[in-house]
Amino acid sequence: MLKIKNLKAAINEKLILKGLDLEIKPGEVHAIMGPNGSGKSTLANVLSGKNGYEIEGEINFDGSNLNDLKTEERAQKGMFLAFQYPLEIPGVNTNIFLKTSLNSVRKARGEKELDTLTFLKLIKEKAKELNIDEKFLSRQLNVGFSGGEKKKNEILQMKLLEPKLSILDETDSGLDIDALRIVADGVNSYKNKENSFLIITHYQRLLDYIKPDYIHVLSAGKIIKTGNADLGKQLEKTGYANLS
Amino acid sequence: MKQSYDFNIEKIKDLSLEEKISRQKNLDLFYKSGFPTKKVEDWKFTDLNLILNKNFDSISNDINFESNKDLKIIKNFEHNYISLTNGKIISSSFDFEEKNKIIIKDFSQKDTTNFNSNNTLTLLNNALSSGGFSLEITKNYKLKKPLVVYNHFSKDLKNKILNNKNSIKLNEGSELILIDYNDSNTQGNFIRNTMDVVFLSDNAILKNILIQNAKSNGYFYKYIKGSLESGSNYENYILSSGLKLNKIEIEINLNKNNSSCGIYSALNLFEDQHQEIKTRINHNSPNCKSYQKIKNVLNDNSKGIYQGKIFVEKIAQKTDAYQLSKALILNDDAEFDAKPELEIYADDVKCSHGSTSGSIDSDAVHYLMTRGIPKKEAVKLLINGFLNEVLESITDNQIKIFLEKVLEKQINEH
Repeated sequence: MLKIKNLKAAINEKLILKGLDLEIKPGEVHAIMGPNGSGKSTLANVLSGKNGYEIEGEINFDGSNLNDLKTEERAQKGMFLAFQYPLEIPGVNTNIFLKTSLNSVRKARGEKELDTLTFLKLIKEKAKELNIDEKFLSRQLNVGFSGGEKKKNEILQMKLLEPKLSILDETDSGLDIDALRIVADGVNSYKNKENSFLIITHYQRLLDYIKPDYIHVLSAGKIIKTGNADLGKQLEKTGYANLS
Repeated sequence: MKQSYDFNIEKIKDLSLEEKISRQKNLDLFYKSGFPTKKVEDWKFTDLNLILNKNFDSISNDINFESNKDLKIIKNFEHNYISLTNGKIISSSFDFEEKNKIIIKDFSQKDTTNFNSNNTLTLLNNALSSGGFSLEITKNYKLKKPLVVYNHFSKDLKNKILNNKNSIKLNEGSELILIDYNDSNTQGNFIRNTMDVVFLSDNAILKNILIQNAKSNGYFYKYIKGSLESGSNYENYILSSGLKLNKIEIEINLNKNNSSCGIYSALNLFEDQHQEIKTRINHNSPNCKSYQKIKNVLNDNSKGIYQGKIFVEKIAQKTDAYQLSKALILNDDAEFDAKPELEIYADDVKCSHGSTSGSIDSDAVHYLMTRGIPKKEAVKLLINGFLNEVLESITDNQIKIFLEKVLEKQINEH
């Protein structure tokens, strides 16, 4: 699904990722943990195709060289990034945004675009699963949403676009325990043998709800340790400092 | 190239000798200074004389008033209408209304002396006006459906100037949504100089919406003068993208207690387009409110201007006045100029103004792209969101949906 080899990334002439290797197979859930400043969000940004990074190394996503794909093509091919800080976009209606997004992806996949009625039926169902009030869908995108509502909105988009690889960047930050459970349930209900996840997190907390197959520890731009779910619990006790 | 004028009062039909003399006086005054240049303070951002010199080799008022037969009516939108060709009434329909409540007739220049001004375009209009419409709504009548004024133009208007005058009077407690709808398929460059006089009696409500339906070779100037009595409300929505040149000058006189006005504009301008909105809100009485929100998206080498003045008389205590202009500049060659002015003589007032301009939020574009939306579409969504905000205050859902569609079309096609 995703194969990263010796990835280096710099921004503003500062090297952040210093040779990262990672392989995620279909159906696997990987977590990347690490202290602040280790490069976790840079990895998410680079994978999403954000401008401003200088990149070296290989990233293969589902048979394509990721560097050849524009940001929107990555999404159309099935990569999804749930943002740590989802943007507030004034004036853009959430429903219109979601419909444009879904139809752009469907069009690129050679599927029929949905008309408004069919779309609204679908989005109402998906919103209900995540306990999202329908009223949010007719509001401006993320404007005035609480932290929890924004994160739920990200998971709603994930479930709508049905990606092959979902990257969750600090999705647990800013969530109370109820919202955390709803978000985790949303992810778990979408998990199957084909879909893969990359969960980027600072804390073990989210991993109590979404069980990873592998945990990687990122420190100073490199993965310094890989283990199973127990590694997260160990880190919670000992902290990152003892690893390096 | 320097253009030559061929302005002739004899071309205007059915004038009395007195009228001819009065018109000739106005024309002589116009000739003294000609079209305004940027040396005139009110025109410092729109050098009309220069723009006309560049785009017209001659200008005449010799207009053939043959009506445009292919009348297109907006579909799936219930409305009354007045249809004008070159500013003259051709037909009207008030199927949704009690017909005796609405008085519509040709504008008679003799009815008004309101147009004395130093503005040379007003002088020219006084001299050359070939009429327009005069609309009056009787006391307490609220129109059930909007009234669309279709502005059609004949095809042969190259190098012509049209001068029109209209008057809109709402008697006590009446309500109207008026949509001024320009539909032009005229080939050559032409000029339109329009003066609208608006009078709202106590508690009357007028929504005046200006729409440009298609790209046009028009060079338009419109002067709106509104006078508001107690508790009345006037709102302007300006969606005039598509014209080569457009300057709308709005003067609102809040003459009596508790009257209020709002001016909203959403423009998306492209190559060689130039639009200016100039306002003067005169708070002449206490407890009045005015609100202005001006939004421009400037592509290519387009130019947008907002000059907004709030004037508060000494007696106009408890005035609440607000103005804001925001511009998105999408190209290095595009330009936005804003000149806010406050002139306040009362001491217990709330007046605020703000102006921002900037480029599009690249993080927002990126966010939308990560959802599979191509960059061009993402930018359009953001432009739409930026401009759509001015429609927020519209509570009538039918009108709101209609205007959202107009705006979407202007963003996609113009």
